[in-house]
Amino acid sequence: MSRQRSEEMPHWPLHLFLLLMVGITLYPLLWVITIAFSGGQSLAIANLPADAGLADRLRAVVPWPEHVSTSNFRSLFADQPFARWLLNSAVVSAATTVLGVFLASTAAYAFSRFRFPGRRAGLMSFLVSQMFPGVLMMIPLYIIIVQWLGLGSSYIGLVLVYTVTAIPFCVWMMKGYFDTIPRELEESALIDGASQAMIFFRIVLPLAKPAVAVTALFSFMTAWNEYIQAATFMNKEEMYTAPVGLRFFVGGFSQQWGYFAAGSIIAAIPIMVLFMFLQKYLVSGLTAGAVKG
Amino acid sequence: MAAPSHPPSHRRRFLAGLAVALLLGTGAGLALLTASRTADRQQLAAREAVVTLSALTELIERVEAPAAAPAGGLGDELAGLDAAPAEEAAPADGEEEGGMGLGDELAALDAGAEAPAAEPGAPTREAVARFAAEHPEVRSIRVVTFEGIRLEASTDSADTGEKAAPRRLDREEKDLYDQGQRLRAAVDENRETVAAGGSPVSDEISVQEQEDGGFVLGAPLEREGGVVGLVQIRTAPNPVVQAPTPPWLPALLAWLAPVAVLALLGLALGERRALLAGAALVLLLAGLAGYAVTAGGVRAAERRDTADRLAAHITAERETTAKLLAALGPADAKPLRPETWDRNSYRAPFGLVTAEGTLDAGKLGALVEADAGRLRRFVGVIALLAAILLAFVGFGGAATVGRNLVRYRVAYAYTVPAMVGMILLVFFPFFYGITLSFTNANIYNSNKPIVDLWVGVDNFIDILSDVAVVRSTPDGWVFNYNNFYWTLGFNVVWTITNVVIGVSLGLLLALILNTKGLAFRPLYRVVLILPWAVPSYISALVFQGMFHQQFGVVNQFRQIAGLDPVAWFDGPFTSFLAVLTTNGWLSFSFMMVVSLGALQSIPADLYEAAKVDGASRWQQFRSITLPSLKPALVPAVILSVIWTFNQFNVIFLVSGGQPAGATEILITQAYKLAFEQYRYGYAAAYSTVIFLILLAYGLFQNRASQATEAIGE
Repeated sequence: MSRQRSEEMPHWPLHLFLLLMVGITLYPLLWVITIAFSGGQSLAIANLPADAGLADRLRAVVPWPEHVSTSNFRSLFADQPFARWLLNSAVVSAATTVLGVFLASTAAYAFSRFRFPGRRAGLMSFLVSQMFPGVLMMIPLYIIIVQWLGLGSSYIGLVLVYTVTAIPFCVWMMKGYFDTIPRELEESALIDGASQAMIFFRIVLPLAKPAVAVTALFSFMTAWNEYIQAATFMNKEEMYTAPVGLRFFVGGFSQQWGYFAAGSIIAAIPIMVLFMFLQKYLVSGLTAGAVKG
Repeated sequence: MAAPSHPPSHRRRFLAGLAVALLLGTGAGLALLTASRTADRQQLAAREAVVTLSALTELIERVEAPAAAPAGGLGDELAGLDAAPAEEAAPADGEEEGGMGLGDELAALDAGAEAPAAEPGAPTREAVARFAAEHPEVRSIRVVTFEGIRLEASTDSADTGEKAAPRRLDREEKDLYDQGQRLRAAVDENRETVAAGGSPVSDEISVQEQEDGGFVLGAPLEREGGVVGLVQIRTAPNPVVQAPTPPWLPALLAWLAPVAVLALLGLALGERRALLAGAALVLLLAGLAGYAVTAGGVRAAERRDTADRLAAHITAERETTAKLLAALGPADAKPLRPETWDRNSYRAPFGLVTAEGTLDAGKLGALVEADAGRLRRFVGVIALLAAILLAFVGFGGAATVGRNLVRYRVAYAYTVPAMVGMILLVFFPFFYGITLSFTNANIYNSNKPIVDLWVGVDNFIDILSDVAVVRSTPDGWVFNYNNFYWTLGFNVVWTITNVVIGVSLGLLLALILNTKGLAFRPLYRVVLILPWAVPSYISALVFQGMFHQQFGVVNQFRQIAGLDPVAWFDGPFTSFLAVLTTNGWLSFSFMMVVSLGALQSIPADLYEAAKVDGASRWQQFRSITLPSLKPALVPAVILSVIWTFNQFNVIFLVSGGQPAGATEILITQAYKLAFEQYRYGYAAAYSTVIFLILLAYGLFQNRASQATEAIGE
C-alpha cells in the first residue's frame, strides 16, 4: 500500500485547486442566502457610505447580512401565493420524471440490445430533435396543446411538453450506458429461462442504476428549472410554476431581490435534496462487480 | 422469402387488400360527410348571427344618421370638422367623425325634420332596445362610438344603474374600444388593398365562438363612408347539436359488394396474380365511385337545406327590421338591403339570398358544383391512396412488414411509447413551424388559413441577404448588432469558448475526484455539483445582480483591488465576459458528473493489469481512461455544444442582449422577434435557419466522431 502511494503525485496541489473551485462555486450561493436573510429587497449586501473605506468595501463583499431576518421567507408565504406555485412545480416535475424515465429506459434498452428495421432512423431522430430550436417549437406546440387539446393551464399539458423535451437526451445517455453493460448476464439469464421483461426489469435496470439516476435527475431538473414554456402554457395565476412566480419578483418594474432570493432558496432546496439522495447510485464498478462476481 | 411449407395465397392477399383499401376509402368518405355536416351547422349558426348583426347595424345607421344633424352643440362641432372631407379612401388619421359633407348634412336636416329625440344617440338606444326585445336569442347588444369613447347603447345586464349607457367607457373596457379600432383599421386597410387591385386581407367583422356555443360578434358602425363605432352582439348559448350520422348503409354496401364479387371471381381466376390485381383495382375504383355518387347526392341535398334555412332567417330579420325602421326611422326611409346581410368577414355579400328572400339558383348551383368538385378531388386522392394500399397488401409488402413487426415485436414494443410522443409533440410541431416560416403570420392574423399568409421564401431572403454587418462612418466602424451574421458569429464564439471551458474543467475535476485515497472526496463532489443543482434561471438572475454596476459585488471586489467599477453591460466585450462567467459557472458540473460516472464504470482490474504490465500513468490514461470515457463523453459533448448554442436563459436573463443586441444569440433573437415583435412567420424563418445551422453541425460532428459506427454496427 505504501509503495503504491509513493507512485502517486502529492495531494496538496489537488486540494488547493479544489478549494479554489469550491470558493468560486459557493460564493454566488452564499450571496443569495445573504440577500434572502437581509430582510430587505436591495441587491447590495451592505449600504456603502459616500466615502467608503477599505473596511466598508470588505464588509460589502462578505456574504453575511447586516441584520439577520427571516421576514422575506415569512411574507413569501403569508403575502404571496408562493406555496401554490411550489406545489404546481412539484406535481409537474414528479410526473415528468416518472414518465420520462420509463419511456427513455425502455426505448434505450431496445436501441442498445436489439437490431431491428428503423433502429438507426429512430436513434438519429432523437439526436436531430435536440437541434430543433425551442422557439421554433413553441408557437406550434402552443396551438396543439392549448387550442387543439384544450390543455392550457393544466398539469397534463406541461408534463407532456416537458417529457418529450427530456426524452432524447435520456435515451442517448441510457443507450450509451446500456452498451457498456456486458451481454453475458442477459444471455445466461435467458438460458436460465428468464423472460425478456424479467431480464430488463430484474437485471438490466438494476445494473444501470447510475444511468437511471442521471436520467431521472435530468428529467426532474428539466421540468423544475423550465421557465419559458411554463410561462407560455400556464396562463392562470394559480397554475404558475415556481420559476414563473419567481420571475415576478425581479421582472418588470419590481426589483424585490429579497423575495426573489428567499424564493430561490426554497425552490432550489428540493432539487438539491433529490440530487443528494440519488448520489449513492453514482457509485463505481457496479457492472464490473456483477460480471466478476 | 415465404415459408416453404405454406406458399402465400395471392387470392387471399388481394381479397384482404381490397377489403382494407375499400375500408379506407369508404371510411374517409363517411368521415368527410360527417365533418362537412358539422361544419355546415356551425357555419349556418355563425352566418345567421352575422345576418342578425348586419340587420341591427343597418337599423342603427338608418335611425341615427339623420338625427345627428339637428342636435345643436354637436352640429357645430361637426361643421367645424367638415373642413376635412373624410370620404377619401383612407381616413386613417383618426378623424373618422365628420363624414357628412355639408350638402348631405343639409339634405339630412330637411329629410329628418321629425327627429325623434334631441339628444344624440337616443335613436340608437331606442332602436337597440326594441331590436333586443324582438330577438330573445340575442343576449346583449352594445354600441360604442369612438367620439368621446362612449358606450352609446347597451342591453347588457352589467350596464344598468350607475353604469347604464350612455357613458364613457371604463378603463377595463378598453378592449371593446380597441376591437372597434381594429375593425376600423381593417376597413381602411382593405379599402386601400382593393383600390390597389388586391383582395381584402383583414377581417371587418369579428366572430368569436364561445365555449357554450354562443357567438360574440362585432361589426363596424359606419356613417357616410367612415367607421365611427362598433356594434357588438352576444348571442345566447347555443347547445352544440350533434349532427346526425350520415347514412351508413351505402358505405357498407360499397364496401361489401366489391369484396364479395372479388371473392367469387377469385374462384374462377385462381392464383393468377396479374388478373387478380387488375380485377381488385377495377372493383376498388367501382366501389369508391359508387359511394362517391351517393355521397355527392346527400351533400347537395344538405347544401340546399342549409340555404333554405338561411333564407328563412333573412326573411324573418327583414320583416322585423323593416317594422322597427318604420316605427323609428325617417318617413321616407329607403328600403333595407337584406341581400347584403349574409356576408363574409370582409363584409362582401355572399349573394345567395336575394332581397326578396328567395334563393339565387345560379349561386346555389355554383355552390353545389363546388362541393361536387371538392368531392371529386377528395375521392381522387383517396382512390390513389387506396390503390397504393391495395398494391401494398396484394403484392405482399404488408406481409413483410407484418412479419417484421411480429419478429421484432419486443423491440418495437419497447420503443413505440417514446416514439409516439416524439412524433406527436416534437416532429409534427416542428414541421408546422417550418410551414409557418413561409408565411407572414403575426399575432393578428395567425388564425387564418396558411395559404392566405403565404409569402414564399421572402423571410429567408430578408434574413440572409443583409450582409452589412459593419459600415464605415466618419466616427469609425459601426457594427449592426441586429444583423443575422453578427449574431451568428457571436453565437459561434460563445459556443466554442463555453464548451472548451466546460469540458476541460469538468474532465479535470472528474479526474482529480477519481483519485484514489483523496481526502474529503465526497465533500468536494457534493459542493462542486451544486451549480448544476441550482436552477439555471436562478443562477442567471443572481449573476445579473452580482454584475450590477452600482450595487453588484463584482464591482465591489474590483474596488477593493483598487480598480474602477465597470458598467458590464455597456460594452460588447465586458458583457460577453459577464455571460461567459455565468455560463462557465453553471455548466462545468454537468460535464464533471458525466465524466465521473464514466470513470467509475471503468473496471479497476484494467488498471491493475496495466500496472502489472508496467504501463505509465499517461499510458494508462491514453489507453484505458480516454477510450472508456468516449461512449459517455461523445454524446455529452455533442449535446453540450447544441445546448450552449441554444443557451437561452443565461443570455436572456443576464445580459438581455445588451448593449444594443451585441450579445444576443440566435435563439434569443428569434424569441424577441416572435414574442416581443410578434412576427411569428419571420421568427419561424429565423428559427429554421438556426435549425439548419445546427443540422449541418450535427452531420459534420457525426462524421467526425465515431458516433456513426457506434450506432450502425
